[in-house]
Amino acid sequence: MNVEEALRDAMAAQVAGVQAPPSLGQAVRRRNRRHVVRFRVAGAALLTAAVAVTVPVVLTGGPGTAPAVGDGQGNGAAAGQGAPVASATGSGDTVAVPANLVPDMVGKSAEEGGAALKEAGYTVRITKVVSDKDPAGTVVDQTPAPGTSAPPGAAVTLIVAATAAPAPDTTEGTESPGMPQDLGDLGDGRTLGGVRVGYLPDGLEWGKWSGKDGFGTRSYTTSWVEPGLEPGMYSVQIVIYRKDAAKKFGERLKGFAAQGAKAVEAGDRKAYLVSLSEGGDELNDGGTRTIAWNLAPGVGVEVMMSPDYAAKIGAAAADRELKKIAAEVAVVK
Amino acid sequence: MTEEDEAAFDEFLAARSTALLRTAILVCGASATDAEDMVQSALEKVYRHWPRIRHDNPEAYARRVVVNGAISKARRRRVIQEITFAQPPETPVESHDPGLRDVLLTELRKLPPRMRAVLVLRYWEDLSEAETAALLGCSVGTVKSQSARGLARVRARMENLEGASA
Repeated sequence: MNVEEALRDAMAAQVAGVQAPPSLGQAVRRRNRRHVVRFRVAGAALLTAAVAVTVPVVLTGGPGTAPAVGDGQGNGAAAGQGAPVASATGSGDTVAVPANLVPDMVGKSAEEGGAALKEAGYTVRITKVVSDKDPAGTVVDQTPAPGTSAPPGAAVTLIVAATAAPAPDTTEGTESPGMPQDLGDLGDGRTLGGVRVGYLPDGLEWGKWSGKDGFGTRSYTTSWVEPGLEPGMYSVQIVIYRKDAAKKFGERLKGFAAQGAKAVEAGDRKAYLVSLSEGGDELNDGGTRTIAWNLAPGVGVEVMMSPDYAAKIGAAAADRELKKIAAEVAVVK
Repeated sequence: MTEEDEAAFDEFLAARSTALLRTAILVCGASATDAEDMVQSALEKVYRHWPRIRHDNPEAYARRVVVNGAISKARRRRVIQEITFAQPPETPVESHDPGLRDVLLTELRKLPPRMRAVLVLRYWEDLSEAETAALLGCSVGTVKSQSARGLARVRARMENLEGASA
């Protein structure tokens, strides 16, 4: 046997048993969302509804099951869209999960996920979140995270995408469809929501969009990008919370502390420097690096850095830059 | 991204993701879990540009992202691997049953990442020298020399083993 053949044979044998998991498509999409500007994810219309998840669905997950489930909340039309993602990969989609580990419901429809969780002995809660990216009725996230252990009877919250109320779309031009311009031309983009951003990392420019009230009533957001980044992506995004939104934001900060986050010094202020999961409520290693603090009574600020940009400048530099940004944000008189 | 784009991306994954994952494992010499993480991150890039690249050989694009990711990952792992795999050169390999395959794979893992990538692309992916060169962004001559050197090292190991067991 010559060496080329032997090598080919050895390589084939090594990877013969390897199959890409059916969940790969979901994992890729979930990763993608972390790089995308958030319009309204956190808290926007967090209508926590004790939705009755009544439709019993047998979760064998065979291709093409996507049942036309009754639409308890008027979202049924799109509910099945999560299913083809998994079934398209062809290989059997039955997931064996040890009894006390929370199964992965992300990407499934709320009805399907809820029924499966009930069957597994969990109490199901549904939290709806307005999302532009996901088909209404699909689970976009869950707590506790998939694969973590939870005792029988524990509550599992499914974060379910809902359609936004028809938003006034005042987008000008065509280059970035869907990017809101709620606050008009902000010049350098550094003054909004009554605060001024004094420092930004070198080389970033304004992302030429801004959103109002997406993160609760009286919230303002915009982003800065490295030149050439495609529309919809961000390098650094800021959200300013006031009034009602600031109250909810304060609760989130308490939630960070409750999860064990320690405040850091950013200039002369204390802030939480954390990695957050997609919903923005949970600490999560490998999540989006975010600094959040109360700037003044009734004014909360959150600055997040895209995982791409953070990886580019390095984790240590990312934290340093976030602290520097935080130190230089000031209320405009 | 239209629904049609999304559907096409799923089809693409169904058709190609296993092959990409396998290539990643071979190139970076990592465990399936590490390789999967890398493939996810590569595919995220593909997904991001999907509407633009889907009609223009997305497979080649994906493979390039995966292989380059695997090479840089392997470089980072290299120091650790060299320690792990280092053996005194004349340690008689247990002549029974380390298995020719294991020996070859161990040797393959010891190669510099780029050289290993050349061998994987040439002999696992069955790419031509020109395709390999294009993918790695180097000249055909480099592919030839890297491939020859890599094969020579694997061959030496193989002969050593055959000699020992004879």
